[in-house]
Amino acid sequence: MKKISLFIMILLVGITVLACGAQTTTTAVTFDESKSINVYTRDTTSGTRTGFMEGIGFASAATSDSVLVQGFIIKDNTGILSTLAIDEYGIGYVSLSSVNDSVKGLNFNGVEPTEVNVINDTYGLKRPFMYMLRQDGDYPNDTVEAIVKAFVAFLSSSDGGDIINNSGAIALPSTQTWDQIKSSHTVCTQNNAAITVRFGGSDSIQKVAQALTAAFMPKCGNFIAEHDHTGSSDAYKRTNDPAIKDTAVGKDVGFSSRFFRDAELNVNSSLRGQLAWDAIVAIVHVNNPLNNVTAADLKAIYEGSYLTWAALLSK
Amino acid sequence: MPDTLNYYQKNNSKKGLIIDRIAKNIFLSMAILSSSFIIIIAGIILVRGIIPFTTDNLGIGRVSLLRFLTGNTWLIGQTFASNLYSIGFIIASTLFITILSLLISFPVGVLTALFIAKVAPPSLAKILRTVVETLASIPSIVFGLFGAGVILKIVYDFSALIGYQSKGGNSILSVVIVLALMTIPTITTISEVAIRSVDQSIERGSLALGASKTQTNFKVVLSSAKSGIFTAAILGIGRSLGEATAVSLVAGGRRSGFSFDLLDTTSTLTTIMLEGLKETTGIDYDIRFSVGLVLMVVILLTNLLLNAVKRRVGVVNVKE
Repeated sequence: MKKISLFIMILLVGITVLACGAQTTTTAVTFDESKSINVYTRDTTSGTRTGFMEGIGFASAATSDSVLVQGFIIKDNTGILSTLAIDEYGIGYVSLSSVNDSVKGLNFNGVEPTEVNVINDTYGLKRPFMYMLRQDGDYPNDTVEAIVKAFVAFLSSSDGGDIINNSGAIALPSTQTWDQIKSSHTVCTQNNAAITVRFGGSDSIQKVAQALTAAFMPKCGNFIAEHDHTGSSDAYKRTNDPAIKDTAVGKDVGFSSRFFRDAELNVNSSLRGQLAWDAIVAIVHVNNPLNNVTAADLKAIYEGSYLTWAALLSK
Repeated sequence: MPDTLNYYQKNNSKKGLIIDRIAKNIFLSMAILSSSFIIIIAGIILVRGIIPFTTDNLGIGRVSLLRFLTGNTWLIGQTFASNLYSIGFIIASTLFITILSLLISFPVGVLTALFIAKVAPPSLAKILRTVVETLASIPSIVFGLFGAGVILKIVYDFSALIGYQSKGGNSILSVVIVLALMTIPTITTISEVAIRSVDQSIERGSLALGASKTQTNFKVVLSSAKSGIFTAAILGIGRSLGEATAVSLVAGGRRSGFSFDLLDTTSTLTTIMLEGLKETTGIDYDIRFSVGLVLMVVILLTNLLLNAVKRRVGVVNVKE
């Protein structure tokens, strides 16, 4: 009995000493530039990773780990955020909506990462969420067309904006609520339970798109939303490419996580538009003296050209 | 004896016999139902898990089984376009982590059990037993949150103290601590039952021969209960091998290289299955079933091995 209580006492004292030791080290705020950079990333299935890697001009790293610097650490959005509150020498990236005071969000090419700067298009590390519709009169029937038009109106309402913001993207500013504009969409007052509307395009937008349709279905006669997201280039192909749009994979609404380009721009501008921005922020520990990075800096870090903080800070 | 049995059966009412038969069939169907779940689950994992090795994965190419089991990089090349998957280094780190966590949880768990069963006064034993049982029922995600919020920080600071640049505390050490915390209550609960069921006469015999209480506890009680304690270790290992959520929050997602460095990042079979599972398709999805298949084989082999050892350890006079 005595031996055991002695053992427990020693154990408790040991823990206390360890805890005290741990606390004293955290108060040091000196940043040692000779330390190596701990590179945090999302896994290869993440849309945020694709957006980030494309944004810094390192598209080959979007779905490949082999091109990244040795010894990178894979965590999810929350994991990167919480670890960078601990790891003084780490760098990572998260979506703008999740950044908080526990980490330092870096300016990108000199522009502060704020919602205002995203919407006025000065903050660069972002990608647009776009939509594209079929030609007028080219829908399976008139009801589907009316629901699609109502859906687009919903996207630009403040109700739609709230859903977009809650899903991690940044909605474009809106002034009207759905209640103010729904009277001009009479299709939503009837029962649409037998109507299926097909959504497709970018898989990065799938989460946002599904949140939007889930919120809009009950507002518009409980129509059925079918989601089949395969990639940004299918936004145009499956809604307007004559060879594909009328096959089984044809869609009524296509989403794209990049601006439309080339032949896609031949589609009348009234049939396409932007619904949101997806902004990504490079983050470091609050003790890190770094405030601003460029796309080239980030690429150099992620591909392993800069291995220590001194290499970046002394530049 | 047969005569009494016949007499009993003849005098039993017909109704009773029918109820017996119905009850027997209900029990049988329940047994078939529960065992068929195992067969169905194992079957589905097997069917999906061999797809990457038997088909050309929609043009990407067949995955080489030998490379898969021995290689040291999870995936070389672009996801969805490459078949160069390997988990050799992950199998090694999984086993390494499991052994290390058992090295911590086994002595702590067994000694706690011994204290509760034999040393502690009854009132304290009751409180401790409740505490341990509560710990055993805490969901793994809670241990994971504790790991991500507290243990990562401690490991990070500890590394800084010894002059090692830790990757935010994401390391084998953090995983081992989380798993040890999770398995201690399991090991304690089962060991305690085993220790309590040791026949009192063996203990009294030891005391009567002049052994001290401590000598008796270690040399007589523990060695008599070793079979049950071994079962506790087996279940503890099962929990360590199978834990995904808590581990993935502190492991750091290592993607290449055999590493037994306690303070460097790691991956286990379960974390590699979990990470990205919800967002992926095609070969990158199917390959996770293959990893699951490997994990099932690892667990099966470990259990067979431990059971063989357990049989050799034997049982000493444990009260039935």
